[in-house]
Amino acid sequence: MKTSFLPLLVTVLAAGLLAGCGRQAKDAPDGSGRPVVALVVKTLNNPFFIEMQQGAEAAASAAGVQLIVQAAEREVDVERQMQIIENLIQRKVDALVVAPSGSREIVPVIVKANRAGIPVLVVDTRADAAALQAAGGQTAAFIGSDNYEGGKVAGEFLVEKMGGRARIAVLEGIPGHETGDARLRGFRDAIKDSPGMVIIASQPANWERDQGYNVFQNIMQAHPTVDAMFAASDLMALGALEAIAAAGRTGRITIVGFDALPEARAAVQRGAMAATVAQDPASMGRIGIEWAARILKGEIPPDEISVPIQLVK
Amino acid sequence: MKIPNRLARNARQFGTFAVFVVLCAVISILTPHFLSVSNLLNVAQQTVINAIIAVGLTYVIISAGIDLSVGSILAFSGVVMGQALGAGLPLPLAIAAGVAVGTGCGAVNGLLIAYGRLPPFIATLGMMSVARGAALLVTDGRPVSGFSESFRWLATGEVMGVPVPVLIMILVYVAAHFVLRRTKFGRYTFAIGGNEEAALLSGVPVRLYKLGIYAVCGGLAGLASVILTARLNSAQPIAGLSYELDAIAATVIGGTSLMGGRGSVVGTLLGALIMGVLRNGLNLLGVSSFIQQVVIGAVIIAAVLLDTFLKNSKR
Repeated sequence: MKTSFLPLLVTVLAAGLLAGCGRQAKDAPDGSGRPVVALVVKTLNNPFFIEMQQGAEAAASAAGVQLIVQAAEREVDVERQMQIIENLIQRKVDALVVAPSGSREIVPVIVKANRAGIPVLVVDTRADAAALQAAGGQTAAFIGSDNYEGGKVAGEFLVEKMGGRARIAVLEGIPGHETGDARLRGFRDAIKDSPGMVIIASQPANWERDQGYNVFQNIMQAHPTVDAMFAASDLMALGALEAIAAAGRTGRITIVGFDALPEARAAVQRGAMAATVAQDPASMGRIGIEWAARILKGEIPPDEISVPIQLVK
Repeated sequence: MKIPNRLARNARQFGTFAVFVVLCAVISILTPHFLSVSNLLNVAQQTVINAIIAVGLTYVIISAGIDLSVGSILAFSGVVMGQALGAGLPLPLAIAAGVAVGTGCGAVNGLLIAYGRLPPFIATLGMMSVARGAALLVTDGRPVSGFSESFRWLATGEVMGVPVPVLIMILVYVAAHFVLRRTKFGRYTFAIGGNEEAALLSGVPVRLYKLGIYAVCGGLAGLASVILTARLNSAQPIAGLSYELDAIAATVIGGTSLMGGRGSVVGTLLGALIMGVLRNGLNLLGVSSFIQQVVIGAVIIAAVLLDTFLKNSKR
């Protein structure tokens, strides 16, 4: 009978597909007896986290651990990240290194990991301290850069570069995102004592390149006199850069970005961008894995491990 | 006419069920961590949000409509409820407010579609943006978080070993199955999707029922937001991005026809479980996130292929 044959065919196909995945994954976890450390980042379609992954991978074999790297499709999908971590807890990984998609939303799953006796190291974005305390959760350490400090460095640079007079547009990340908020606070604090530095527009472009393009295009329409920009991430800055090129104003707007992506470094070198704040995601990944391995050997890490910030100009 | 229909439905559901069973079997062979009570409860809890939203979409899609706004409605309902809780409203009232916001948004969809004669795609596409914007507006873009333990019980509590969200999901499915198969509301939903003109001519108050269907769909998104908010201990204005697509996928994998007039709630539950098991299994296996997306997409396509083949083989 045809109708009973086809479901069978499809199930066999699906099974084959999965078995393929199983084989592909086989040499990663299980088997060798080395402890398994999972790195869960926000998304793997952002170069920042790919660098973090590479740093972690480089450190894993030296530290004697097996590494699993997982992420949600979307950077903002806090529930999906929670699901991934829940599944890794079920898989009984030995340690978790997590870059939280949401500072507060990560807390319930940290508590779950605590109950399962799995140490959690937080990288890049902090877990909300108050929420963590209220929930009775614990993290082993925070490894990251001070985003506030980074914003401040960017602001101070812009004040100096513009001689204290500028009409500034700001591209914000997703509203309510701790990382972006801290960068903006630092930036605003750095320019607040220079009355000539005026923020004429501050709009969210949600960390995305195409939105950086569109939002900055709109800002140029509304404020033709804009002569400086601070973007809370390089992806948004690079989008804006294209909008500026399309408007034929390349070089006439001083741009400071954040993250020091390879593309942004290149833009700084050829003078299209003035500077970008360098965090060091590869080091965050590396230190995260190294400390996870040391914790498993019984060592106790410091509460905070700071990864230095520098300005690429 | 009736008997072959029923046969086809059962064959289709058998197909979905077989996919589900084989999937579970393969994953449990590949990883020892899958078949444990705690992991299966874990999968069930992860399926709840999608499964509840997908019930609403099953009704909408059976009526030959579509609803793209459920993810945004979920966010809007969630933040309204979160703010109501923050303002000190009693728990039941705050939850009612959240579900009411969802139902209201759904009813507006229904009004636009049934009385404004807008295509469902357009009306709900508009609502997708309106509800998202409203959610951002009322919260100023910031998540609302930190709720009482009694509220969080909705996500963390257990009744006789069964997590509360799973219990809620089961109740929703039992009710939705009963309504679809045993009541006028269900029969009219099929009639509208099968042939709207014929339904109208035979005296079905098509507009009123369409309004009802979209309101129910919005209300269920509101209910899902209650559970999601309790689960994350936070109501996010950017929650639920692309959840409409997950729910449509679950519905379609479950054998509900996008052309309307055909489908089942049981199939949708299986569809949602297949997606949940697949994601869980791929995580347990440590498969790269990129391959995961390929596999999930392939399963959606395979399920719909199966559906098409079955329909054609009947002729």
